[in-house]
Amino acid sequence: MADHIGRLSPEAERLGRLTLRQNRIRTRHYAIRPDGSSDWTVARLAARAVDDVLGGAELDAADVGFLATATTQNDTMVPGLASGVHAEAGLPPMEIASLQSVCASAMMALKTAWLQVAAGEHRAALAVGAEFSSRYFRPGFYQDTATLREDGTLPGDAEFLRWTLSDGAAAVLVEDRPARRGPSLRIDWISLRSFADRFTPCMTGGAVRTEDGGIKPWSLHDGIGEAARAGAFQLRQDVDALYRMLPVWMGEFMRLVDEGKIDPGAVDWFLCHFSAHSLREEMVRLATRAGCMIPEERWFTNLYDKGNVGAASLFLLIDDLMKSDRLRPGQRVLCAVPESGQCVMAYAAMTVVEG
Amino acid sequence: MTGDSAIEATHRGLARVWIDFESALSQVPVIARLLSGRLRPEDYRRLLLNLRQQVVEGSRWIIRAASNLGPAHEELRSLFVLHAAAEHRDYRMLEDNYVAAGGVREDILSARKNIGSEALSAFMYQAASKADPVGLLGAMFIIEGLGNRLARSWGEAVRAQLSLGEEAVSFLLYHGENDGDHLDMFDRALALAVRGPAESEDIVRHARIVARLYRLQLEELDNV
Repeated sequence: MADHIGRLSPEAERLGRLTLRQNRIRTRHYAIRPDGSSDWTVARLAARAVDDVLGGAELDAADVGFLATATTQNDTMVPGLASGVHAEAGLPPMEIASLQSVCASAMMALKTAWLQVAAGEHRAALAVGAEFSSRYFRPGFYQDTATLREDGTLPGDAEFLRWTLSDGAAAVLVEDRPARRGPSLRIDWISLRSFADRFTPCMTGGAVRTEDGGIKPWSLHDGIGEAARAGAFQLRQDVDALYRMLPVWMGEFMRLVDEGKIDPGAVDWFLCHFSAHSLREEMVRLATRAGCMIPEERWFTNLYDKGNVGAASLFLLIDDLMKSDRLRPGQRVLCAVPESGQCVMAYAAMTVVEG
Repeated sequence: MTGDSAIEATHRGLARVWIDFESALSQVPVIARLLSGRLRPEDYRRLLLNLRQQVVEGSRWIIRAASNLGPAHEELRSLFVLHAAAEHRDYRMLEDNYVAAGGVREDILSARKNIGSEALSAFMYQAASKADPVGLLGAMFIIEGLGNRLARSWGEAVRAQLSLGEEAVSFLLYHGENDGDHLDMFDRALALAVRGPAESEDIVRHARIVARLYRLQLEELDNV
């Protein structure tokens, strides 16, 4: 991994190994070569995922009227990612939406695609998530900035993400009917809630933290050079705040249990996007106490071999589950996507149906 | 709903109340200052002075509640009495901390409750005066929770931001230390008290009310 994101210092790599021990990620994918060059962009990664989905679909590409994209950081600040993916995928004119957040942007894209089809606007819609974070974890993005210390290490909130995030893309096709052959997932409901009313930004990119706990956007620095030197273009994660959000994410789960939307005992597959193994253990402890623990043998994860792929993670999980050959009609699937950016929690419930 | 599932529902309900409470607290001016590293010595002294007027009532309303727990709640009564006995002089530590942080003892002894503390205290005595007031476990969950989950990190933040010694922050630090025991004791009390949905709803409702009134007390510092 260190070859691909580049080596800052032996001490930084020691911290990296420590992070990997905590999150238990063993293997992952990067879209960058050890020399820093790449043939990929976020748009290209997403377009390849769209190609894959359409390649296995029962309808023609021309029947898809809507494309929703999800990512943490697009290739460009302008225009939006959906335009880039539309162009790269070579699809005919269509309606698009670019959803930008962190991991939960995947759920925003899925919900938008689902509602578009449910409202009868389109017969079929694509939702795609893509990330290419390794490119800005390279040493050149830290050198000559205030973030890199003299001993070649980064503060924990910058180093943590270098070893947490991976590159990749995945897509799903939302249709108004199940596939004629093989299992499909019927979306029963999607619930997404922001708690930004009570949290300051916890994961940031494009800004620096100020003394009074606020953030200063890159655009409010005196110039681009100064913003870069201040470390405004780095991705940072306040790990302590992550632990403060955990009960809020769990509280959303308890709300859905109390409102009768989730029956923990009736969930056959729990697709939970979590960024680190240590967070998973904390969640298990909380859930057990409140009588809403989904037995661990029903958890489905690919974190340990694919890493945390941010906005692509939800679709990678769904894709791996669909390909696992373990789905049976009537089984209930629950997806959970917490987002640490400024605290979002999203859940989606689906049922396995046979065409 | 069986007894066990009512206990679990209570845990869920309390967890949700707590989550709302904790996240709303971060918007209260004095806590926002503390969390963003901008606490001033006078903020800390105000906090202690205002808290003391409510803490001094704590064991008294617990004892009143204990006296209203009938024969069916004998074991729970004994837990209430033990709890009240363990904490009934805690406010003295708070007074000492106030003096160590530069305050005048006479001021903290003679101050009135702020209007939030008045509301909180009035509700507590009123609830404790009812027959079999098991709902007060919800109130204890919030007040104990503050001690167990937040006090230690607040105490450490105060110490770091104001460069104070142990003798000025021991009330906050001490409350954070006993959390394991207190949580176990609370779980035991809950198992004794909750026999069905009625007790469960009552406990969660008390927690909701006390969470709001406690926040009011912190919002209304010095508004007497």
